[in-house]
Amino acid sequence: MFLNSNLFEPGKSKLERNFVQVLTKQNNRLDGRSADDFRDVELTFGAEWGIVALTVGQTRVLAEVTCEIDAPTSARPNEGALFLNVDIDGVSFLDEVQTTHDQRVLALNSLLERTFRSSRCLDLESLCIASEQHVWYVRVNVKVLNHDGNLYDACTTAALAALMHFRRPDVTYNDKQIRTYSEKERELVPMLFLHYPVSVTYCVYKSSSKPVVDPTLLEENAADSVIVLSFNSYQELCTLNAGGSAPTTAHIIMQCARNASRRCKSMVQFIRKALALDTERRQAKQPVGLLELMRSTMPKITYNRLMNEESDVPVTNNEPVSNMATVATPQHQEPQNMIKEQRKQNKQEPVTPMDDSTWLPSTDEVKDKDNPKLKIKETLPQVKETRPKGSNNNRGKGKGGKNQKPKRTESDSEEETKPVI
Amino acid sequence: MEKQKDEKSGNEKLRQMSCEFNSLSRCDGSVMYSQGATIVIAAVIGPVETKTQNLCIDGSYLECNYRPKAGLPQVKERIREAAIRDVLELALLSESYPRSKMSVQVQELEDRGSMDACALNASCLAMLIGGLPMKYSFAAVHCIINEKGEIVLDPDLSEMQHQRASFTFAFDSVEGNLLLIQTKGSFKIAEFNDIECLCRAASAQIFEFYRSHLANYHGRASKETATTPMEET
Repeated sequence: MFLNSNLFEPGKSKLERNFVQVLTKQNNRLDGRSADDFRDVELTFGAEWGIVALTVGQTRVLAEVTCEIDAPTSARPNEGALFLNVDIDGVSFLDEVQTTHDQRVLALNSLLERTFRSSRCLDLESLCIASEQHVWYVRVNVKVLNHDGNLYDACTTAALAALMHFRRPDVTYNDKQIRTYSEKERELVPMLFLHYPVSVTYCVYKSSSKPVVDPTLLEENAADSVIVLSFNSYQELCTLNAGGSAPTTAHIIMQCARNASRRCKSMVQFIRKALALDTERRQAKQPVGLLELMRSTMPKITYNRLMNEESDVPVTNNEPVSNMATVATPQHQEPQNMIKEQRKQNKQEPVTPMDDSTWLPSTDEVKDKDNPKLKIKETLPQVKETRPKGSNNNRGKGKGGKNQKPKRTESDSEEETKPVI
Repeated sequence: MEKQKDEKSGNEKLRQMSCEFNSLSRCDGSVMYSQGATIVIAAVIGPVETKTQNLCIDGSYLECNYRPKAGLPQVKERIREAAIRDVLELALLSESYPRSKMSVQVQELEDRGSMDACALNASCLAMLIGGLPMKYSFAAVHCIINEKGEIVLDPDLSEMQHQRASFTFAFDSVEGNLLLIQTKGSFKIAEFNDIECLCRAASAQIFEFYRSHLANYHGRASKETATTPMEET
């Protein structure tokens, strides 16, 4: 019968792939967004601390944070630990070939690991109760409820929001005895962060030079390569994951990185605002909890609503654009997009002082270096997002180093925050 | 009936129910169902191709999974899963799709009491909305006797802390037969009978809830079914 149930997934058949390729070539998207438009993000906080449900378009994930006291490892006796796990066995992955399933789990887990653990976003020393004896272990469990593309961003955003929402009970350590205080005795303690990383995903197609942001499942499956970038709120690169078979130039990656860094910054702002709104509601004894997913007695906490209240820069003109895109002819649209791009570039130059001149001379070398790699990749098209662990990872690190050089001044700000905390 | 309900004390009422159909895009039918603050998501896929080891030539294979909010399913969840599977196997008209698989997934979102009953009701609604063939629909009701000997129907988490005995009943919609009984704790046979009658009456409300919401969803809402008595309270 159906030996390859991958065919059930949108974007896996040749026809759909060709369709998406042609669509991106025409600078169109199936849902009417432009290439740099994001879908709206909605956050719902649970009744307990550390539970967050996140909806991006049709993609839904649920993140939960728990903590427990245990003995530390001998290598780091005065640090707690952060564990992350993505569970995609849920209702969305009923019929899937085992290999793609494993690949997805691996890709997502490694992304979370690098974004949160390797970048050391939590202050782990603050999780220590008694050195060499008792530390907190914090676990983040992300459950995928529905997959409609861009699980990467959904998982990192949900995990970060859940960590920021989470509060642990206060403890004291006296005479070799741990005393845990209940919520009534002492206020719960929030996590201490060194920085706040979030990822942004781009899809690159062979037919078009313009990467597509926040892909749907159809676009993600049909993409030739997927680039995932994690930035923190100081706009420092935490993860770069670039794989696949589309020939990507350093130019495109840098362009993605610049846009992504801005998006990540505003995303973290959005989470902060959402948390503030949540505490406001809790203090006012208004109903909180996942029940809001269904009842919506309160206005929903969505990115577009919260972030457009004062700032006009983000995707306010979402709907008019989508209408235009469906009605207007390609000729009409091209000048529009050109203007848009130009505007963006005008905008970018003042925003990001580090510019082409600092790294462009080296691009030719980079290109030459990259090209053989890309050719090798093209011969192995079936290896996709999960591969970057090896060779691409190193590449990512190289880029990261280059990217951070001009930003030294900014990266200092992270060190400045440490003593404050 | 309506009048009787008004006379009843708060202990003998079901909590407010609500549901949202097809909130997930990647399955044949899904429902987000809540009773009070307890929320579950149930999703079905079927009939689909099955593995050869599960293939059954005279009926379809039923796969049922219950997933807790965090972590892997433990013994408690396995028991719940088995209860759901038992009831579903009774209700599912499996002969209509031989050599195929029906899959039901229940995901807990928030457990604030009466989880067993909620999971069962959600899976029934998911089967109905997914269009899987069933002999009858079913409704489950949870009830406890607290330390004072009072009967509490559909308790929430705080009420469940003081329980002497707890009961979960599931009834079918056609003949009102008992499909499932789960009891815990000590009680008298007379109490058991009382509670069964109470739960049976409550199950009628749940069936009414199914009917009105499904009619609403399919755009055939009549005036009588547009608002359920539960939502008025």
